[in-house]
Amino acid sequence: MKQFSLRILISVLALSFGEIQGQSSDDACFQCHLEIDEDMDVSVMENINNDVHILKGLGCADCHGGDPQAFDDPDVSMWDSEDFIGSMDKLEQVQVCRKCHSDPTYMRQFTVSMKTDQVAQFWTSQHGTLLKSGDNNVASCSSCHGVHGIYPVSDPRSTVYPLNIPETCAGCHSDNDYMAEYDVKTDQFEKYRNSVHGTALYESGDISAPVCNDCHGNHGAVPPEIEYLSDICGTCHINNMNLFRDSNLSRIFTETGLPQCETCHGNHEILKPIDQMLDLSNQPNCESACHVDTGDIGVILSKEIFQVIDSLKVTMIHAQGRVDVADQKGMEVSELFIHMEDALKTLIQTRTSIHSFDIDHIKSVAQEGFEATTLAIAGAEEAINEHGFRRKGLFLFSLIITVFVVVLYLRSRISS
Amino acid sequence: MNENNSKDTISREGKQRRRFLDLILKIGGLTGLGAIVYPVFRYLIPPDIPEANVSSITAGTIDEFLPNTSKIIRFGRKPVLVVRKKNGDFKALSATCTHLDCNVQYRDDLEQIWCACHNGLYNLEGKNISGPPPKPLSQYSVVVNNDRIVIAKGQST
Amino acid sequence: MSVFNWLNDRFNLAAVQKFMKKKQVPIFYGTVWYYLGGISLFLFIIQVVTGILLVLYYQPGAATAYESVKFIVGTVEFGWLIREVHSWSANLFVFFIFLHMFTVYFARAYRKPREMTWLSGFVLLILSLLFGFSGYLLPWNELAYSATKVGSDIAGAIPVVGDFFLRLLRAGDDVSGATLTRFYGIHTAIVPLVFSFILAVHLIFIQVQGMSIPPKLEKVPKEELKTMKFFPDFVTKDFMAWLIVLNIIALLAVFFPWDVGVKADPLAPAPAGIRPEWYFMFMFQTLKLIPAHVFFMEGELFGILVFIIGGMIWFLVPFLDRNPHRRKRTNFWTYFGVVVVIYMIVLTVWGYLV
Repeated sequence: MKQFSLRILISVLALSFGEIQGQSSDDACFQCHLEIDEDMDVSVMENINNDVHILKGLGCADCHGGDPQAFDDPDVSMWDSEDFIGSMDKLEQVQVCRKCHSDPTYMRQFTVSMKTDQVAQFWTSQHGTLLKSGDNNVASCSSCHGVHGIYPVSDPRSTVYPLNIPETCAGCHSDNDYMAEYDVKTDQFEKYRNSVHGTALYESGDISAPVCNDCHGNHGAVPPEIEYLSDICGTCHINNMNLFRDSNLSRIFTETGLPQCETCHGNHEILKPIDQMLDLSNQPNCESACHVDTGDIGVILSKEIFQVIDSLKVTMIHAQGRVDVADQKGMEVSELFIHMEDALKTLIQTRTSIHSFDIDHIKSVAQEGFEATTLAIAGAEEAINEHGFRRKGLFLFSLIITVFVVVLYLRSRISS
Repeated sequence: MNENNSKDTISREGKQRRRFLDLILKIGGLTGLGAIVYPVFRYLIPPDIPEANVSSITAGTIDEFLPNTSKIIRFGRKPVLVVRKKNGDFKALSATCTHLDCNVQYRDDLEQIWCACHNGLYNLEGKNISGPPPKPLSQYSVVVNNDRIVIAKGQST
Repeated sequence: MSVFNWLNDRFNLAAVQKFMKKKQVPIFYGTVWYYLGGISLFLFIIQVVTGILLVLYYQPGAATAYESVKFIVGTVEFGWLIREVHSWSANLFVFFIFLHMFTVYFARAYRKPREMTWLSGFVLLILSLLFGFSGYLLPWNELAYSATKVGSDIAGAIPVVGDFFLRLLRAGDDVSGATLTRFYGIHTAIVPLVFSFILAVHLIFIQVQGMSIPPKLEKVPKEELKTMKFFPDFVTKDFMAWLIVLNIIALLAVFFPWDVGVKADPLAPAPAGIRPEWYFMFMFQTLKLIPAHVFFMEGELFGILVFIIGGMIWFLVPFLDRNPHRRKRTNFWTYFGVVVVIYMIVLTVWGYLV
């Protein structure tokens, strides 16, 4: 009788609020757990209605097993069922998820193009390797994706939506106590937040900025090997990668075992590179770690490169100043602003070009910037001169008028 | 009492002065008149660019564009990428990448539009297909007029 | 000379020449004020000429006005000069018109037989203010936009007809591109036409009646009055005055050039410290100072009524001044005029100090 009235209650609720799916109102697990959820140690039903599995029409038994039609008896619905799994440990969890998510034929009915290699990748990852060897501290599926309220990755509420990924990973990886037994630092998230990528992500909301999984992989997450580090950065920074690869430094780095891009730029706390990184009087920088002596070819080259960039910047500042003066005088200078934009673009390209470590190449790239600033300065000077000429012309006109008035006055005195 | 204009009282010196002053007045008057008429005359002649707002611009002639080549032109203050596809059709798109505003370029090896800054890729319709760019490139319309290529704001029909 | 003869045979120019040669201008302490009318006319001519030149390149409309002004100033040859002259000459025009009006007032030249000249002059003054108000918006920059908003708000405070008048003026509820178009029509077509007609009437009156002289001098027999010939003496002096004014414009253009400003954005919040043009400042400041309620009326309404009534009194002064001919140089109306001048100057300065 109690169960019957409970069914009525649930059905009424379903009809009036419409939140609960048709299947769920027929699901014994769902109904019962709705009622007892607040008494459980860990809430299961709190966010269940947003769970992507429920929304796709699956039910509790599809993961946990048991008999969802047995409304009256928990023994029948749960304990007595052969395939019932209650709360599971991490290895069991991977197996449960794998049951569907590694089956392409099954997954096709939900999303034709969904990947099904997640578990296979997971076993290659650090998390997977350790889990297999019995470490239950590491991440498994639910650690990152959540459980009983899983959003699709594309949903901004998902724990693995790009904006949320760093914090999800940091949940364990920034916890000193949790990570104490592993030989892994816990400062990555803090460092990432300060980095140029973190700033782009959090302050500009640019979700194309790389987050943890873009460099480390997501299911097959490992620290990147030195050999292919520049390939990872090169996914976006393709010019830097290509230039570096063709430079003679690439071979030297590989032989010395240096981690390519990371050697100069760091890994998590990648800051916006400043030109002073080339300036040897500024410590610390790349070269001082290897190129110490003043006569060293690396030191000389870095000075030359810094010169090119610095002189371009100085020229640009001067040009901008002249253009601003012309602009403030009210002259038409939009053409000159275009030249300054071109110069800025060349400056950016020059900074990229240093990765070739070939001074002739770098100089040839910077050349366009010098040409643009020359045009801007010439235009600005012309405008400023024109402005001065106008004022002088008007003043001269004013003098002529004054003389004319005086002469006219004298002339009028004569005839009167 | 009315003031008299008696020519007899003007001395020869006065006459000279008068003539001298008249001359200056004539010269000054002509100069002044010229100083007013000349600017007005120059003003009336239209400048090379006839108006401020650019609504359309000529990107060149058909012969200047080989198939599978491109050119970046200025449309007012904005750069526009004009591409002649392999099949001869023209396409004009904003050359400003929608990610972080770098200038994009046409890659004839890929037959796609590429941004060198962070390896973004757009197809020839301007749709962002790979890399960081979040939005497609905005479109400009292309009209082939005699054999001139004219670019205007708005999409081609 | 043959050109003269050719025209003379057809239009009897000789009669005009005779008239001009006979024309005399009185000389006394107040003669110097005679030039103010001519200067105002000169400035009006400059405005018409430079205005026509500007119209050749200016494009009205919210999307094109600002850009076209920038184009004129930056790209068109001597466009900057035409614009500078037009902008400064406009301000001088309003200034000299006020000066002309006040000198005529204090000379009581409005008395019989010159009442109509005064009335037409007052209408010209109002039209000039309308010229200035409508022209000021045309560059469509932030300064112009906010000045227009603030100025037209005053119009809206007029009782009864205020809202209707405001909508008529603004071509809508707010200052918009439609307002710009309407002001353009007012500034380049409607007011020039009406102004020219009334100006012609005003000048004809002056030609027919001659220059006014103080009542004292009217009693002196004609032969004993000191005069100068209109042509060439007065004309020469008038011409010199015009040249001096031209000079002033040139110097103003050199030392205080106008800039193009920032394009108006109706959606942006109003910048701090917006105010109308200087010749409306005294009204603006007065309205700001009036308390929210005066007697039973809203303060703004009271202020507007005071302006309207004051304007009407000023307009009708030829008929209100009962005794303009008496020997005493000052009377109630003189003091009234002094109060008005001081009030306007003080409130204008105050408006800028705040």
